[in-house]
Amino acid sequence: MIAATISSWLINIAIAFTALRTNLMRSMLTTLGVLIGVFAVILAVAIGQGAKASIIDSISSLGSNMAIIVPIPDTGENGPRRSSDRGRLSERDALAIARQIPGVVDIAPQLRQSVQIVSAGRNAATSATGITPGYPKVTNLNVDTGRLISEADVRSAARVVTLGPDVAKKLFGAGSPIGQQVRMNKVPFTVIGILEPKGDGPGGNLDDIALIPITTMRQRFAMTAGQGPDDLQVLYVGFDSADSLTTGRKQIIELMQDRYRVPKGEFNPFTVRTTEEFMETAGTITGILQALLVGIASISLLVGGIGIMNIMLVSVTERTREIGLRMALGARRRDIRNQFLVEAAVLCVIGGAIGLTLAAIAAYYLEPVVEFPVPIGAGTSIFAIVFSATIGLLFGGYPAVRASRLSPIEALRSE
Amino acid sequence: MSQSTPPLDATSLIKDYGPGGETVHAVNAVTSTPLLDARDLIKDYVLGGETVHAVNGVTLAINRGEFVAIMGASGSGKSTFMNMIGCLDVPTAGRLLIDGIDIATLDSDALAEIRNRKIGFVFQQFNLLNRTTALDNVAVPLIYRGASSAERRAAAQAKLEDMGLGNRLDHTPAKLSGGQQQRVAIARALVTEPLVLLADEPTGALDSQTSEDIMGIFQKLNDDGITIIVVTHEAEIAEYAARRIVFRDGKVIEDASVTNRRAVAR
Repeated sequence: MIAATISSWLINIAIAFTALRTNLMRSMLTTLGVLIGVFAVILAVAIGQGAKASIIDSISSLGSNMAIIVPIPDTGENGPRRSSDRGRLSERDALAIARQIPGVVDIAPQLRQSVQIVSAGRNAATSATGITPGYPKVTNLNVDTGRLISEADVRSAARVVTLGPDVAKKLFGAGSPIGQQVRMNKVPFTVIGILEPKGDGPGGNLDDIALIPITTMRQRFAMTAGQGPDDLQVLYVGFDSADSLTTGRKQIIELMQDRYRVPKGEFNPFTVRTTEEFMETAGTITGILQALLVGIASISLLVGGIGIMNIMLVSVTERTREIGLRMALGARRRDIRNQFLVEAAVLCVIGGAIGLTLAAIAAYYLEPVVEFPVPIGAGTSIFAIVFSATIGLLFGGYPAVRASRLSPIEALRSE
Repeated sequence: MSQSTPPLDATSLIKDYGPGGETVHAVNAVTSTPLLDARDLIKDYVLGGETVHAVNGVTLAINRGEFVAIMGASGSGKSTFMNMIGCLDVPTAGRLLIDGIDIATLDSDALAEIRNRKIGFVFQQFNLLNRTTALDNVAVPLIYRGASSAERRAAAQAKLEDMGLGNRLDHTPAKLSGGQQQRVAIARALVTEPLVLLADEPTGALDSQTSEDIMGIFQKLNDDGITIIVVTHEAEIAEYAARRIVFRDGKVIEDASVTNRRAVAR
């Protein structure tokens, strides 16, 4: 029984190939429609997945279970941001958070400023970040050579710097920069370490930074006007687990509201975000991006599908006499229906397979351009084939059913 | 009047179709059940708002083993009658029993099964599939009974050899003469071992010598026990049959044995 079923499908596939060969040009053009559609959809899915993976990856490179606090008034998702609202965040807040919120492992208060960094005639623009030893712990940063900023460096406001690998390369090329002198906005510093490469993070290229003690930052660089002596630009808070991050986030907000006596209903003068939230936001954004891409690509697939339906209707009309003959020879309605369904599916699967192949080739050449992986794996491939077969069955369905509903005698009589 | 025939039941269908798909019509002799039994058969068409009685009250029976010619001018109703006995069309009124089965009670699948198992069609224009070899053309009916590829090939080859086309198995219709094409079509009609061969103007597209050959094949098949029904408008062709039924205006106006029957020398 099963063998007979398989055999009848194989026959239908053979009949389909004969019919498609008979009108080779027409078959190829019809297939082209599906081919382009599948190509577009598969590539859109792959780009979406790649973009999402890449963004999630760069967020997790920041460090997990981390809350980020910035002195920017939190006006909610879309609320108005009033210029009169001044943000508030200080080192005392950071200490209070470290002491009072359970589950906090480390804090990393930061000040940032763009600087010109010069060494032996070479110069580069980078972001100087004033930190404490908590920073590398929270963000999982390590040195490749040399050492990180120490507690002693912070206490003494030492003019020492740990460079990101990109900056180090720009200034020193292949040579070892450890112990070398650099000048940042004309202030001399000694290079004490080079960071391990980390790639892109949400704040930009994590390899293009210069880490200095936060105290040195305060003393040596004129900070933006309006900031108090211990104000911070960014505070990272590292938690021991995802659960304590979730509860810790709420507690941080309550603590800060209490410290700044924020009246009920007013905006907080600070914003707390967690890595989870970044992930979610990134997920949402890339999700929208992907939906948009796939949506546009689907239109071309729809057009391809309509092409299939059109050609199948023509094919049924042209072969009405053959349908009548097959019915006279004992074909049941479902035999005729299956014959045309298989023909449409074969057209679509051929288109799908070629579309998939072209998408894989396009992805290969696209990867260096978009600078993230564009994955077309086994799952995508199976999806593409099943998907295109489904298109065939969907759009070939109406012509096939129409063929099967023909009256045998009228079909036989047609010319 | 339905009491005069044996009771109709589904078992007659099941009996004939063995579970393996083989046809087990052991009874090939003339039995009390006619192969075809038409009673007051009516087929109406509505054309341009007017009802046309294409077949208007035909009662006749054809037994197993007969060789019948159905004659009539175009519009006489002979083709409509033929379509109904071929299960390609169903009657408007009256009863039509094929091998004891009332075809009015059958759905489209069951009609297809009767066409596949009990009837072999031969057409005027041969109706072979282009771009398909003689062997594959003959094998088509077996597809619809779920026969395996090997079974189909074996049966199709045997029938083509019977028709003297053993050396033309891989020829497409375009490479065959009209007579050869019609013999392929006859092989296709026979490959299912049907009870009856229905031939609609089988010589209409052939020259007289080839026509005679084809009618000779029919006579030989009839001698071997298969029922043959030929629809034709040519009196000469009808003379190869043993019984002639003439239609006019949807009715049978003559039904008699052929007295001066032609026989092809063989």
